This record gives sequence, C-alpha cells and structure tokens, in this order.
Amino acid sequence: MASIARKNLFEDIPRFIAAQAGIMFAVGLVTIQNGILNGFVQSASLLVDNAEADIWVASEDMVQLVLTMPLSLEQMKQAREVSGVQQAEALIVRSARWRDPTNQIQAVTIIGSSVNGVLFKPWNIIKGDLVALKEPYGVMVDESTLGGLRVNDIGDTVTISGLEAHVVGITQGTQAITNSIFVFTSLKNANAYVNTPLTTQTRCKLEDGDVNCINVFDEPDTQPGGGRGRAAPKPLTLTDPITYILVKAQPGQDIEQLKQRLDEALPNTRAYTREEIADKLQIYWKDRTGIGFVLSLGAGVGILVGMIVVAQILYSSVSDHLKEFGTLKAMGAPDGVIYGVILEQALWMAVLGYIPGIALCVGVSGWASATQGILILITPVSALSVFAITVIMCAASAIFAIQKVTRVDPAIVFKA
Amino acid sequence: MYTNSGNQVIDYPTHINSRSTAIQASGIEMVYSSGTQQFKVLKGIDLKVKRGDIQLLMGPSGSGKTTLLSILAGLLTPTTGQVKLLGEEITKMSRKHLAQYRLRHIGFIFQGFNLFPALTARENIEVAFGIKGIRGQKAHQEAQQLLDQVGLGDKANLLPRDLSGGQKQRVAIARALADHPPLIMADEPTAALDSKSGHDVIALLGRLAKEEGSTVLMVTHDPRIVDVADRILDLEDGMIKS
Repeated sequence: MASIARKNLFEDIPRFIAAQAGIMFAVGLVTIQNGILNGFVQSASLLVDNAEADIWVASEDMVQLVLTMPLSLEQMKQAREVSGVQQAEALIVRSARWRDPTNQIQAVTIIGSSVNGVLFKPWNIIKGDLVALKEPYGVMVDESTLGGLRVNDIGDTVTISGLEAHVVGITQGTQAITNSIFVFTSLKNANAYVNTPLTTQTRCKLEDGDVNCINVFDEPDTQPGGGRGRAAPKPLTLTDPITYILVKAQPGQDIEQLKQRLDEALPNTRAYTREEIADKLQIYWKDRTGIGFVLSLGAGVGILVGMIVVAQILYSSVSDHLKEFGTLKAMGAPDGVIYGVILEQALWMAVLGYIPGIALCVGVSGWASATQGILILITPVSALSVFAITVIMCAASAIFAIQKVTRVDPAIVFKA
Repeated sequence: MYTNSGNQVIDYPTHINSRSTAIQASGIEMVYSSGTQQFKVLKGIDLKVKRGDIQLLMGPSGSGKTTLLSILAGLLTPTTGQVKLLGEEITKMSRKHLAQYRLRHIGFIFQGFNLFPALTARENIEVAFGIKGIRGQKAHQEAQQLLDQVGLGDKANLLPRDLSGGQKQRVAIARALADHPPLIMADEPTAALDSKSGHDVIALLGRLAKEEGSTVLMVTHDPRIVDVADRILDLEDGMIKS
C-alpha cells in the first residue's frame, strides 16, 4: 500500500522543513544539554584522568579541586617513607589572578607540578617544550584559552599575582570547563605565584587643609611585563603549602591497604584512589551544584518545544487532509489504518528530524571542543537515548491529530 | 415510482442474476434539530432497489436526496426507519461494525472525486485494496487492471492534478470497483464534469457495474444521464414523488 503518510509529509515542503527544524531544535537541545552535563562531569576529573598517580592524598576538608586546605611539602616527604610507596610528588592547584597585556585581571587556576616528576605533567603540548617550565616564571596554557587570556603565542609576557610570567608552551584539550583557566607551571613558579602576599600602601593627600588617607592593596608593579621577580623563585621549603600529594604504588601493592597506611602516616589528610577522587569531583558538580537540574530543565524545555511544534504541524497537516481521512472513513477503513497513517507520519518526522539534528550536534560538539575548549560528550548510548526520546515525543504529539480524525464524521464526504 | 420486485429474499450470497432486493428501506425519517427548531428532511421513505440495477435518485436541491443516500450507505443513522442492504439490517449496527460492512460491500463515488492528491492514480486504487487487506503485488496488479478497464492504463503514474475531471472520476470509479463490491453508491458523480465526459463516465460505470453484477445507487440532478439508468426515483420535499 502506498504510503499516504510519507506522501502527505513531503507534499508541503515549507511546512515539512518547519517541522524538521522544530524536531532538530529539540534533538539539538536535548543532546547538547545532556552532552554538556556529561562533558562537564567528565571535565571535573580531567586532571585526575591525566595523572599517573594511583592514589591522591588531599586535605580531609577537600570539597573539590581548588576548594581544599593546603598540605605541607613535609607531608609529601613523609609519604615517600610509607612502605609500598614507589613515588610521591607534590601538586599545587590554587587560584590566582592573571593580569593580561591590556592590564585586565582574570581568574586562573595555577597547576604546579615537578617538571622532573612522572606522576603529573602538562600533556598534549602542541608548542614549546616541557623543560621550558624550568625557566623562572615560565608557564603553559591551553590553546583554547589564549583568547580569554589575551595572549597570542609563546614569548608573550603577563603578570600573575604581580610576578612576571612568560608563556613558554601551549597545550591542547587540557582545559576543564568546571574550573577557571588552567595555567601549568613548575612547582617552584607555582609556589611563588600562589604564595605572594599583596602589599598595602597608605596614600595620603592634602586637600583644603585636610589630610585624606586611603589604604590601597597593590600588586607591587602592575605594568604588564614589568612585574617584580627579576630574581628567580626560591625552591620550596618543607613548610611551604602544597595542595595534593600524588602517590605511585610499588608494583603488586594492595591499593586499599596502602591508602590506610597513608591515612595513618599523614594526619588530617585523606587518601583517595584515582577512581574515588574522580567520582568525588564529578559528584560535586553533578549534585552539589544546580548544574544537573539546570541542564535537565533545558533538555525538558527542548522536548516540550519539539512536542508543540510536531503536534501543531501534524494537526494542521491532518486538518488539511481532513477530506481524505473522511473519505477513508467512509470507505470503511479501520481506525487502526487511519491512526497508522498519522503515526507513520510522526515517525518519519522523528527519523528525518533526528538524523540532521544529531549530525548537527556532533558538528557543534567538535567545534566547541576545538575552539571553545568545551567538552560536549555525545556517546552512542546518549545518542540512542535521544533517538528514543525523539520517537516518543513525535508519537505523543500525534495524539491531538488522531483525536481530530476520530471526530470526523464520514458523512461529510457526501456534502460537496 | 419505484419498481417492486415482489421478492423478499433476505439471506443469500452475492449472486448476479438473482431477482432479489439489494437495498430496502422502510419508514425512513430524518429530523435535524437546530436550537428549538426542527427540520424534517426525510418524511417517511420506503424504497427497494433491485439487485444489479442502476438506480437513479433524482430531485431538486434540498429535496433530501443526499441525506437519503448517506443513510442508505450506512454513513448516517436515520431518526426512525430501517435499512436493509443485501438482506442485512444496517440501522442497528455499531459504528465499527458499520465501517466493516461498508468496507466489504460498498464502493463509493463522490462528486468531488475525493482522490488523494499526493498519490498517483494507481496508488489511489491501491489504497482501497490496502484498507481491505490486499497489499503488495496483488494490489498493484489489480489496480493496474482496473485502470486498464476504465481506459487509463497509461496514466497509472500520474497524480490527480495531471488528470482531467473525467479522468479523475474514472480513477474514482476504478477505486470504487476495487475488490468487487456488490453495492456502489455515487453522489452527483457528473456535477463537476462537462456533459460529454459526464455521460461517458456514467456509461462506463453502468457497463462495468453490469459486468460485475453490482447494484448502483446514484444521486444526481443531471437529466442527461437518465438513459443509463434502469430505474429512476424522484424525491421532492423529503418524500418520494409518485
């Protein structure tokens, strides 16, 4: 039997395009929102996923990556003495202020790791060399953040916390969207950036016989490129604060037992396996922030809008063909056949809206990760779920059109 | 002036030359209410149509002939009265049962052709087979055969908009004949056609109906096609003129 549904669908091309645009919109919104949530969540553990550590030791107060209390370098040394530990290295993850060449400030997350270390180092370096981080005040940033940081290339100079900073390398795909812009550097440089106090000045002026004084917090020299710190940063002392201790277990060690030994050896800290800390960081973003709810809401709106568009298009298509449906009814077509025509039309709309919709999402996702550093994760499972949602959405939208046809009196066919 | 076969056989299989009654109506009244006003469109109609006949139902506009046709075709339930088609009473049937009855026994021809504009001539006929449960190759072949019979074998793949009025109505006739229904109900089939093609189309319908042994009940006010009819009923003011 010729497909009335398919032919009716293509009969009015502008309406068909409007319908498909609506479905694409819904598919896009649901996929992208869900992809952002997944990407966001995955992004939260980006550093953990790219470190070689078996165990992460953090302050027992740790809430998320930068929201934690410091550990001391001494604790890192102590960790090395714990039996079963092959290697322990310090990692600094702290917020700082970046002052770009146009003299505007910008929040960044300083990530300092030992350049000679093996457990964590900047990965995917597309320009420059890792050893360049050994230079005093050398930093690396992600390609996607260059615009936000207002730097262009290796050799650009800015100030961080009033100290100079030279861009010596560029990485790719290393930015987590859950955090402010990552600035990778050596442990020594990071220590200097995050532990430099602000200076205060009291400025007084004589005006009309009165002395007006104001207190100014100042970065000592805020001219771009002219930062203080001509002197190389000092090596860390045992009391200098660090953020995490990354631990590599000796081969064959039981990780759970090693965790316990580390907990005992290092008071006020807590040891996590890499899976545990990744979960903790992800769950923070999923549950403790409203992001999961907000993105679900966005996806819900997408489905709703899609349903309204499809319902309207189907309804008006059925209204246009009411005489034909009346003819079918007069001829005695079973209700199932008539509903089948409408449902088939809805399913065609679902399939033909989904395919370009998901293709668009894959394109947007590629573009966003390449140029914006935003991860929109589209997995086969999420793509299939969205397809199921699209089909259900379109089928549910057919209800109004089906009701309309149900009410058609077949006797209309004899009234010309 | 209806002819009475005098035979009241009720229970029989379709049989071409049986001198039996195809359509029998008695005491049909139809009252429409609009607010407090009531319009009596049909005022007690009794009629019989003989099997295999081409029966015309004529009368001026507003005489109630289309309403009567709708009732006799099982599309409308009369206020009072009884309709028997091929010996089966349809006035008491449920809506669903009635649809099944129409599907199996009645072919329809409409004033405005009522073809599906998005489907080709052959596909339009295939739809009629499809809803009767005949699909695929068989439907395709039979549809083509019907088109050949109405002289449109070479127009099978054209859309209705590419056909003339007479050709469209011939496609509709082919559709009405799908799967050999014993009854064919036609509502003003020539109203949208010029007199030449109108007459040709009805002559064709008459010839095919005779070949099939189908009974045709046709509402019309077109005097040019009376020569095709076996019998004519005149309706005026909701009553049969005698």
